[in-house]
Amino acid sequence: MDTHDAKKPLPRLTPDNRAFWEGCREHKILLPWCQYCDRPHWPPGPVCPYCFGDDLTWKQSSGRGVISSWVVVHKAWLPAFAADIPYNAVQVELEEGIRLTGNVVGASNKTLRVGLPVEVVFDDVTPEATLPRFKPR
Amino acid sequence: MRDDVAIVGIGQSEFGRYLPISQLGLGAKALQAALTDAQLERKDIDGLSLHMGWPLGADYDRMAEVYGLEVDYVHQSWTHGRFVTSSLQHAVMAVACGMAEVVACITAISFTRELSILGGPGDPEGMREQGATHGENPVYGLTSPAVGAAFALQRYMALYGATSAQLAAVPIALRKHALLSPYAVMKQPLTLEDHQSSRMVVDPLHLFDCSLITDGAAVVLLTSAERARSMPNVPVYVAGMQGVRSGRSEFIFAPPGLGINQQPASPTTPRERDLAVYGRAGIGREAIQGFYTYDAFSPLVLFALERFGFCGPGEGASWVQGGRIELGGELPVNTSGGLLSEAHVCGWNSICEMVRQLRGMAGPRQIAGAEALQWGTCWGDSVIMRR
Repeated sequence: MDTHDAKKPLPRLTPDNRAFWEGCREHKILLPWCQYCDRPHWPPGPVCPYCFGDDLTWKQSSGRGVISSWVVVHKAWLPAFAADIPYNAVQVELEEGIRLTGNVVGASNKTLRVGLPVEVVFDDVTPEATLPRFKPR
Repeated sequence: MRDDVAIVGIGQSEFGRYLPISQLGLGAKALQAALTDAQLERKDIDGLSLHMGWPLGADYDRMAEVYGLEVDYVHQSWTHGRFVTSSLQHAVMAVACGMAEVVACITAISFTRELSILGGPGDPEGMREQGATHGENPVYGLTSPAVGAAFALQRYMALYGATSAQLAAVPIALRKHALLSPYAVMKQPLTLEDHQSSRMVVDPLHLFDCSLITDGAAVVLLTSAERARSMPNVPVYVAGMQGVRSGRSEFIFAPPGLGINQQPASPTTPRERDLAVYGRAGIGREAIQGFYTYDAFSPLVLFALERFGFCGPGEGASWVQGGRIELGGELPVNTSGGLLSEAHVCGWNSICEMVRQLRGMAGPRQIAGAEALQWGTCWGDSVIMRR
């Protein structure tokens, strides 16, 4: 899962999420942050979902959180992932309160559980794309 | 609008796998069957409400052209389970508003020829500009709606101690129902051992927690209650409806408060607005004799039951034990086998079954004295029908 495979899908950059993925290339988790509410939101959007304001900035997350849910994929839907089966994916609730999707590396799937503390690690999968993943902490 | 509109005809194509018939071909068979059932002709149809289309099948104009229909009203939602209820509701509203006199709800799907929509390379869902909404994320190998149901079930099991063996009561009950349905694709009994030993698709979802992948079509014809009373079939009245719920408290495959995606992680019992359908129908939950729901994955049945307050948050897995949701039980669910065991016709096979039940024509599956049945999904929309 950590090794680069050109056939694996890469993030689709959009005007709303570009800063997040550019942050990942610098090994930072940047969250969209409303300057009026002083709170982050997810997914990245054009406005703050709480106050509908558009005075948004990006602030760095601690990168720490806990697994809020997890799955292990056993079906080869994507040929590029077939060799990884069974592979995990997780939703992680960051300390800032939003939940990111990713996967856990450096731990057996059998050790995954809701509430497991994790922290982000960055995987430079191509010169252009870096994916955040998580490891137990 | 209580009881102002009625279902007067139903029709189905054959259900199966790799059927050598186009999606419009399947739809034509179901439409012909529905017209025969209602003793109507094509020219009587002046409205369409389609639950099909992009990226699958046909759009309304191609359908009208191919079938030789001339209509004055169209509503179309694409082939997502989330739009089954609203497709039916738009038909009801069109009749009630006088925009059309006879509306045909049509769904026709060849999932076996359209597997890419269910996950895979190119994932049209996952690579949308704002991403997909069942938890898909192709970057991490998440490419099917199944992953969203798996995320929800995993957290549900962790929070409430529910087990996969408890969940098995759902597909086992629906398989029992399917064995009584002549239309069902699945013909063999399902045991707890079969369920537990079946391969994992996305842990914690076993194979038998996932809907069938089949081909088929179903059509429902609606008209005014007044006209229905002079037609040959027992009218099945639309007693009350409520719409799909959406917002930051919602994830399509989880009850509110489960904590999936950005949902708050604070379980809630249904509020008055979540149960509006009962008041609108003038029929209380205790009077519902059968429950029909979009069972694309078996946990969705638990979530729907909790959502409408048949049991409390986290209680669904234990509530469905002991035959409670089987025919003869307290609240039979999806009595023709649903998407899990009859066929995946986007929920319309179960809506046709509700009509058969309320006409008293469900044969060995008949709920004795069926007067009021509820369609309700885990994303919160609902239609109560009565005879």
